[in-house]
Amino acid sequence: MRIQRRHGFVVTLITSALVLAACSSAQIDVGKGLCRVIGDNAAATPAPITASGTSDLKIGVVTDVGTLDDRNFNQYSWEGATGAAASIGAPEPQAIVTQNESQYAANIQSFVDQNYDIIVTVGFAIGAATLEAATANPDIHFIGVDQFQANDPVGNYESLIYSEAQAGYLAGIIAASISKSGEVAGLGGANFIPPVVNYLRGFQNGVASVNADATVHIKYVTDSDLTLAFNDPAGGKSFADQFLAQNTDVDVLFQVAGKTGNGMLQAVEEAGIYGIGVDVDQWASTPDSAECIVTSAEKKLTSSVRTAIEEFAAGTVRDSNQFLGADTEMIGLAPYYQFADLITSEIQGKVDTAFDAMAGGTLDPCAPNACFTGDPDPGT
Amino acid sequence: MDALFDIPIIGLVVQFAVYLFDQFPIVAPIIAAAAVPIVLGALCGFMNERSGVVNIGIEGMMLLAAFTAWWTASLSAQLIPTGPGPLGITPALLIGLACGIGAACLASLLHAWLSISVRADQIISGTIINIFAFGITGYLNLLISQQAPPAAGQFSKFLLPGSITQLPVVGFLVKSFVSVGPIAMTMLIGVIVLQVLLFRSRWGLRTRAVGEHPRAAETVGIDVVRLRYRNVILGGVFAGLAGAYLTIEFGNAFQSGMTNGRGFIALAALIFGRWTPIGAFGAAFLFAASVGLERSIRIAPPTGSLGELLTAVPGQFYGALPYLITIVVLAGVVGRSIPPKAVGLPYEREKTGG
Repeated sequence: MRIQRRHGFVVTLITSALVLAACSSAQIDVGKGLCRVIGDNAAATPAPITASGTSDLKIGVVTDVGTLDDRNFNQYSWEGATGAAASIGAPEPQAIVTQNESQYAANIQSFVDQNYDIIVTVGFAIGAATLEAATANPDIHFIGVDQFQANDPVGNYESLIYSEAQAGYLAGIIAASISKSGEVAGLGGANFIPPVVNYLRGFQNGVASVNADATVHIKYVTDSDLTLAFNDPAGGKSFADQFLAQNTDVDVLFQVAGKTGNGMLQAVEEAGIYGIGVDVDQWASTPDSAECIVTSAEKKLTSSVRTAIEEFAAGTVRDSNQFLGADTEMIGLAPYYQFADLITSEIQGKVDTAFDAMAGGTLDPCAPNACFTGDPDPGT
Repeated sequence: MDALFDIPIIGLVVQFAVYLFDQFPIVAPIIAAAAVPIVLGALCGFMNERSGVVNIGIEGMMLLAAFTAWWTASLSAQLIPTGPGPLGITPALLIGLACGIGAACLASLLHAWLSISVRADQIISGTIINIFAFGITGYLNLLISQQAPPAAGQFSKFLLPGSITQLPVVGFLVKSFVSVGPIAMTMLIGVIVLQVLLFRSRWGLRTRAVGEHPRAAETVGIDVVRLRYRNVILGGVFAGLAGAYLTIEFGNAFQSGMTNGRGFIALAALIFGRWTPIGAFGAAFLFAASVGLERSIRIAPPTGSLGELLTAVPGQFYGALPYLITIVVLAGVVGRSIPPKAVGLPYEREKTGG
């Protein structure tokens, strides 16, 4: 009896020691074990904005399909609008959340009918409806996030285009620096969508700038089907699973495939390798994979929308197509959170140097490997 | 070997065989994982169609289950925060699984009521379920994503020591079918059990009778309506498993419309498999393998003349391959696929004395 009790005590001791050991180690023991437990890394709350004057500009935001707090395009564009309104002293902006692609035009029209002064529309898909509304209502200022006017730009329509290649380049520097095997991958949704190709070719050039001997795999899910490319998380996970089974040395994966890519990040988590997100801070937007997300190649939506509104309010006349990049700090990398100590000051130095060189125009992220040229990208 | 590769045409075939032989062991576990929802969906269709009820609502039932399982698991994970047990099982995931199955069974009950009791057109009934499921899950997902609870995680694979999964010849089979999560395991069990029951049990005989000739079945005392109800609702269990697999085993998040046609592919697998569980299982694997082949060609294209040929073929071709095969089978080129005779026909009891 006594002995058994003592056994019990020893077992308890060992178990609790093991549990403690498990808790204190930040690594997660899955696959290659590169992922880390998320610490207390809540995103910093932005400083309160003080109004620099008063303005009676009425600002409306028409979102893309989804919700206003999607931790993605809608939310960050909206925060740009509210931030701008606060800083110029305008009334609180209003938002219409689009529920269905067929409502784009009607939602814009509803702000037009209420005599709004600035209408912000969010996302590539709403671009055509925005162009139409801008042409019909020359007195209203339109701001289109992630949009581009290929033909004769309209004066009262400012479309914000981000340099994906520059953001991808920075992600490539991180990938090459943290990879232990020297083998990294960029997986894209479709090889004929310019932003996707630009991100990935920039990524490839960024990797090469740090480690010329590194192997960069660039693969695309599809060359035809947009649903498979951007809206099929289960298919994306299968694709990445298969890619990682066939390339077992790859230990950093950069996804550029929308919601299909969210499935790729799940595969990254199961493989226990480093993941890099795209467009927004995916550590925040896909919390289920955050343990493996080192950073994201980010478009600074909030500050670009805010700047566009503030500049308009100040009476500045800007180009209709706004090409946004490092020079205006409109692209960059998301915070590293639990991986902060992985990114040494040496790595950060390389990122900063490249960022400054791209801002100064002395570094082309589309060289030596060219970005989108008009033809589908064959990958590498 | 190189000399063999250089022979025109035959050389290409040899190269292709070598490529497949090379790739298959690596890709097999991924193909198996992708085939699970298709096989489970096909088992749902099997339960329905063998007893004479067409079900094109599998897609919708899967989507409902996927959403319900994910959502209820997330909610319960907040109430019962427990660490994962073996196979990643937590109470929250089990609750999610049960609710997902429940949701698919409710949809099946609706389908049974419409197509058996109301004797509505069974195609319409299935279509209603598909449209309803797409709408309601999309809408609820929008609503709850305002304060999305953190996901409950997912079931994990049954991990075997590397010495077993790396065995020559059988290693990859073990990895594909044994070293899998709990829902994937039920798939294999379901296929075998249903196949045996269909041809070796009283239930199987009665189900086949009801699907082929309900009037004759009734005359020997089988309650056609009751058996159809029971089978259609039981079929919902498999659709529920298929949906839950997508959100709490294979992945850990829900996305609007995420079944992405898998329910329809399941139906094609059932037809291709000649309305038997084993056949549907094989067909689903063939379908998943053709997608896997397309990916393999994208990810690791073969070298030499074969590589040039395969990469020159547009990707759509590989994507369309499963459907082409189904058409060929339906056209009776490779043996005929004959549906149960009474499928799609509402059954009306003969008036007493008539």
